[in-house]
Amino acid sequence: MTARISRSAAAAILILPSGGYLVLFFGLPLLLAFLGGFGLFTRGAETGFTLEHYRTLFGTRAYRDGLLFSTYLAIVPTMVSLALALPLAVALARTHPGQKLFNMLYKVPLVVPGIVAAFIVMTMFDRGGLAARVLEPIGIDLPKLVRDQWAIGVIIATAWKAVPFMTLIIGGSLGAINRDILSAARTLGAGPLATFWRIQVPLALPGITAAFLLTFIGGMGAYAVPNLLGPVYPLPLSVHMYVNAFERNNWGLVSAMGTVLSLISVAVLLAYYRATRGMRIAYGGEAR
Amino acid sequence: MTTTLSEPPARAPRQPFLASDGQWISLGLGVAFVVVLGLPLLVAVLWSLVDPAVGWFAPDIVPTSLALDHWQTALRNPTIIGALGLSVVIGIAVTILTAVLALPTAYALAKLPFRMKRAVELFVLAPLIVPGIIVAVGIGAIFFRLDLVYTIPGVILVQTVGTLPFMIRILAATIEAIPSDLIAAARTLGAGPWAIARYILIPLAWPGFIAGGLLTFVASFEEFEKTFIIGSPFVQTLPVILWTYLGGRGIIFPNAAVVTFILLVPMLIVFFLACRVLRDDVLASGMGKL
Repeated sequence: MTARISRSAAAAILILPSGGYLVLFFGLPLLLAFLGGFGLFTRGAETGFTLEHYRTLFGTRAYRDGLLFSTYLAIVPTMVSLALALPLAVALARTHPGQKLFNMLYKVPLVVPGIVAAFIVMTMFDRGGLAARVLEPIGIDLPKLVRDQWAIGVIIATAWKAVPFMTLIIGGSLGAINRDILSAARTLGAGPLATFWRIQVPLALPGITAAFLLTFIGGMGAYAVPNLLGPVYPLPLSVHMYVNAFERNNWGLVSAMGTVLSLISVAVLLAYYRATRGMRIAYGGEAR
Repeated sequence: MTTTLSEPPARAPRQPFLASDGQWISLGLGVAFVVVLGLPLLVAVLWSLVDPAVGWFAPDIVPTSLALDHWQTALRNPTIIGALGLSVVIGIAVTILTAVLALPTAYALAKLPFRMKRAVELFVLAPLIVPGIIVAVGIGAIFFRLDLVYTIPGVILVQTVGTLPFMIRILAATIEAIPSDLIAAARTLGAGPWAIARYILIPLAWPGFIAGGLLTFVASFEEFEKTFIIGSPFVQTLPVILWTYLGGRGIIFPNAAVVTFILLVPMLIVFFLACRVLRDDVLASGMGKL
C-alpha cells in the first residue's frame, strides 16, 4: 500500500515539470480566452458577463463568412491531401528501385516552413509565375490561382506541406499491418485494388483519421499561408483574430473567435474518437 | 482458382503474386518528385541568382543573366545575419528547455503505472489539437501582463508549448524500450533516482534525445505564427524576416529566395540527421498518432 502511494507521488512529481508548464502556458491561456469571450477578465476592458462578443461574431457578415472560410480551408486541403497521400503511402511501401531515396525525399516538405511553401506557390502560380510563362505560348491561359476566390493557391501550398505529413502517419499504420493478411487476401483472389480498399484502408484507419484530424486543425488555424495567398475577402477567422488582438485591441472578440475555433477542433476530435471506434467495430464485423 | 469466390473475377489474367511493378513505381515517383519538389526548388534557386541589373521578366522561362549580387547583399545584411543567429540561439534554448521538461514526464508515462494516465497523455498531446494561433493569442494576453511580449524569453516560452508534445512522445517511445529489469536491478543495487537518470535513462535514451532534440530544433527554427504573434516586430527570426519580404509592402522575390535557402539548408541537414537516428514509426508517433 505504501509502495503504491509513493509510486503515485513519484509519478506526480515526474509529471509536474511539463504538466505544470502546459497548465500555465497552455491551459490557463485557453481558460482565459474562454472566459474572455464572455467579457470576464479581458485585457483593458470592463469586467462583467456579456454575450456581446458572440453577438458581434455571429452578427457581423465578415466574421460569419470568415468562420465558413476557415472551415473551408480546413476541409478542402485535407481532402485533397488525403487523396494524394493514400496512394503515395501505398506506393512508397512497395518494393521498388530507389526506395530508400524516395523514402527520404518525400519528407522534405515536412521541414519547409509554410511561408516558404507560400513563396514557392507564388513563384510558380502567381500572375507571371513560371506556370503561366510556360503555358502561355501554348495558348493556355491560367485562371487566377493566387489570391483567388476559391483559395486555390492556399490549397496547393497547404496540400504540398500536408501530403508528406499524412503519408508519414498513414505509412506507419500501413506498415503495421501483418503481411500475412495481405498475402491471404491475394491468395483468395483479391486484386491490388480490392486489397487496398478492403484490407489496407480499413486496417490503417486509425492512422488515416489521425492524419486527417491534425491536418484539418492545422488548416483551420492557419494564418500565414491564407494571409499571403488567400483572397482579400473573406478572410479566415485566424486573420481576424490577429487584427482584432494586435491592431484593434479588441481582446473580448478575439477570445470569442478563439473559443469558437477551439470548439470546432474539439468537436472534430470527438468525432474522430467515435469514428475510429465505430469504424473498427464495423470493419471488424465485416471481415469474413 | 477463383471461381468459388463470391466476387466474379471478370478481369484479365492476373499478374503474378508478387508483381514486379517496382520500376513503374520508381518512374512515377521520380517524375512526381521532379515536378513537385525539384522544379519549385530550382525556380527558387534561380530567383535567388537573378541579376538585379537585368531582372527576370514575363516571357523568359529562365533568367537571361545570373549573378550572386543578392547573396552577397544578404550575407552582408546585419538584419539577416542577426536573424540567423537569433533563430539558432532560440532553437537551442527551446531544445534544452523542452528536453529538460519532457524527460521526467516521458519516464513516468513509459514506466510508471498510475491513475489517470490516459488523461495525462491526452493533456500532454492537447497543444497539437488546438490551432497554434489560438494558443499564441491566448498567451499573448497573459504575456502582456508579465511584460514578456516582444521579448526573446517570451518567444522561447511560447515555442516550447508547441514542441513539448513531440519530445514527450519520442522520449516516452524510446524509454519504453529500455528493459524495466535494468532499472529494477539498479534500484536493488542502491541507485537513487538521480543515479538511475544519470547512468541508465539518459545514456540508453540517447538516440531519443538526439532525434527529439534535432526535431525540436527544426520545429523551433521554422516556427512562424507563434513567434510572429509574441515577438514581432522586435524579435525577428528568419521566418519573420521572410514574412516581411513576402507580405505587406511589395514582394521582393530575389531577397525572399535568398532567405528561403538560408533558412532551408540548415534545416534539411538537421532533419536528415534526425531521420537517420530515428525510425519512421517513432517519427510518426512523435508527429502525432493520437
